[in-house]
Amino acid sequence: MNVEFKNVTKSFGREVVVDNLTLSTEDGEFVVLLGPSGCGKTTTLRMLAGLEDVSAGDILIGEERINDVPTQQRDIAMVFQSYALYPHMTIAGNIAYPLRVRRTAPDEIKRRVERVAAMLEINNLLARRPRDLSGGERQRVALARAIVRSPRVYLMDEPLSNLDAKLRVQMRGELKRLQHELGTTTVYVTHDQAEAMTLAHRVAVMRGGHLQQFDTPMNIYNRPANRFVAEFVGSPSMNFIEGRVDLGERLFTSGELAIPLSIFQLDLLLEHEGVTLGIRPEHVHVSTAEREGLLPANVYVTELMGNETFVFLRLAGGEKIIARAAAEFRAELETPVWLEFEMDKAAFFDTESGESLS
Amino acid sequence: MSLQARLRDFFSDLQAILSSPRLWPKYLLLALALAAALLPVYWMWTISLKTEVDQFAVPPKWFAFKPTLAHYREAFVERSFGQYLLTSAIVAVLSTLCAIILGTLAAYALARFRLPHKLNARLALWILSTRMFPPIVTAVPLFLLIRDVRLLDTLASLVIVYTAFNLPFVVWMMRGFFNEIPRDLEEAARVDGDSRLGALRRVLLPIVAPGLAATAVFCLIISWNEFLFALTLTQTDAAMTLPVGIAGRVTQYEIKWGVMSAAGVVAMIPILVFALAVQRYLVRGLSLGAVKG
Repeated sequence: MNVEFKNVTKSFGREVVVDNLTLSTEDGEFVVLLGPSGCGKTTTLRMLAGLEDVSAGDILIGEERINDVPTQQRDIAMVFQSYALYPHMTIAGNIAYPLRVRRTAPDEIKRRVERVAAMLEINNLLARRPRDLSGGERQRVALARAIVRSPRVYLMDEPLSNLDAKLRVQMRGELKRLQHELGTTTVYVTHDQAEAMTLAHRVAVMRGGHLQQFDTPMNIYNRPANRFVAEFVGSPSMNFIEGRVDLGERLFTSGELAIPLSIFQLDLLLEHEGVTLGIRPEHVHVSTAEREGLLPANVYVTELMGNETFVFLRLAGGEKIIARAAAEFRAELETPVWLEFEMDKAAFFDTESGESLS
Repeated sequence: MSLQARLRDFFSDLQAILSSPRLWPKYLLLALALAAALLPVYWMWTISLKTEVDQFAVPPKWFAFKPTLAHYREAFVERSFGQYLLTSAIVAVLSTLCAIILGTLAAYALARFRLPHKLNARLALWILSTRMFPPIVTAVPLFLLIRDVRLLDTLASLVIVYTAFNLPFVVWMMRGFFNEIPRDLEEAARVDGDSRLGALRRVLLPIVAPGLAATAVFCLIISWNEFLFALTLTQTDAAMTLPVGIAGRVTQYEIKWGVMSAAGVVAMIPILVFALAVQRYLVRGLSLGAVKG
């Protein structure tokens, strides 16, 4: 079922944590709330769960306004960052709990517990207790407890953040597969942009209680709404160069640096005083041979990642930028190199407001 | 462990202590403390079994005396100590139950609900403050109150007063235990479809059970031993508890040492058995939260 936030605001005393949030999901959609800590994403999820009151605005599940519906009657399931397994119950007891409180018949409980346990490959753990399980196994139990019944919405609060890196990637894939198979609307909170990009149908980027952009991962990455989104999504982060537009010469200039602009780009930028050029590391090409029209730079440091090399560079004006180069790229520190920006992939932002101009 | 094994351990420990003089002062002190605590109990026990002649023999008869059960018969068959025992048990169990139920609910509210005007901390401190003055301060006002509601000399009066007296203790202990439990757990329970009370019953209480048991044992012991209020609020055998009954054998004309000791020994037994049975939980309960589990 779809979830809808209509002008939702949450404040603790005078502090506004979520400010006038309006957001609406499709039925069966996987929506990720992404943002740094303190951006209001967890509070948003907790309001949807009924664990926090809504200060203003409406939250709907389907057609029903749920502001005043108590948590236990919202027919949702939630996976907590801490997993929140009941330590005094067996794994089977944990998974059965949502069914038990709904007075499901015992044989029906048994059947469904065994089915989800098989689905998540934890059927051999059913008699154990949470403290005997590894982090990854606990995570699976928490998931099993959420999917053992068919709620209207799944809520997930950083469910993978307590796992080690390798397991996290593995569980991420399984989670995506699981959500696809269940087809239930899922609202997922994370500060990890890689999780957001890989899992979501649509990502809602939040900052300081405000929704920055709500769009598909592709558009979030390629058409960021503002400098914050551009910087937050992508690793290594997008490069930014602050400068201005020279209309006569059709150039973007920043100190010594001068980059030619297309007519189309000029048209977008001409009204604006200060302009920031944003270019992703994969759109900066490094060459050791000098060529006409390329930008000179010095190698600050290189990091070989195995399959590629991150080249940290310093431009003539002192700006630091990062480029992604092939794994074979080798350069001594402080070697002069020449850069080519793929300008048709570049983004422009108003320096003052940070809003996207492209 | 079998008794034999225990004894073997005891003697090997003893040998180790005796063979290293460095340890003597420490164990001498321990032995003195133990004697100070246990000798009166032992003496009471022997007196309860001695004839009146033996009780006052000079030099005192520590071991060699002819035991008799006459005092026990006098206390529990001829006099009403059996009834005092029953009264004590009823009052202690009922007041503990009431204090645990009310106190746990209050503690849950204080630990979990965000009350306005910093009321959580203020209420908690206010509740604790009722234990800060000596109980005797309230003896006279309580007597007058209980008299006015015509509950003097009833079991109900004692149950009410003991419940009130134990409540702050329960609230503070249980509040501490609840605070140790991550909120996530009951939030998970509520998202899973359980009500607040359901989550309390099915998730929180089983987790704090050792703490709850330890708290209940303390309440039981306090109520069982209580003397002051029982003395002021009861007058006849109808509601007299064991401590008052025992003290009542000190009269103008005679002091029934044998009967008092016999009753004392019997009064000790339930608490001893109970404390031994839950000893494991007592330690675990009181250190609950010391180690995150």
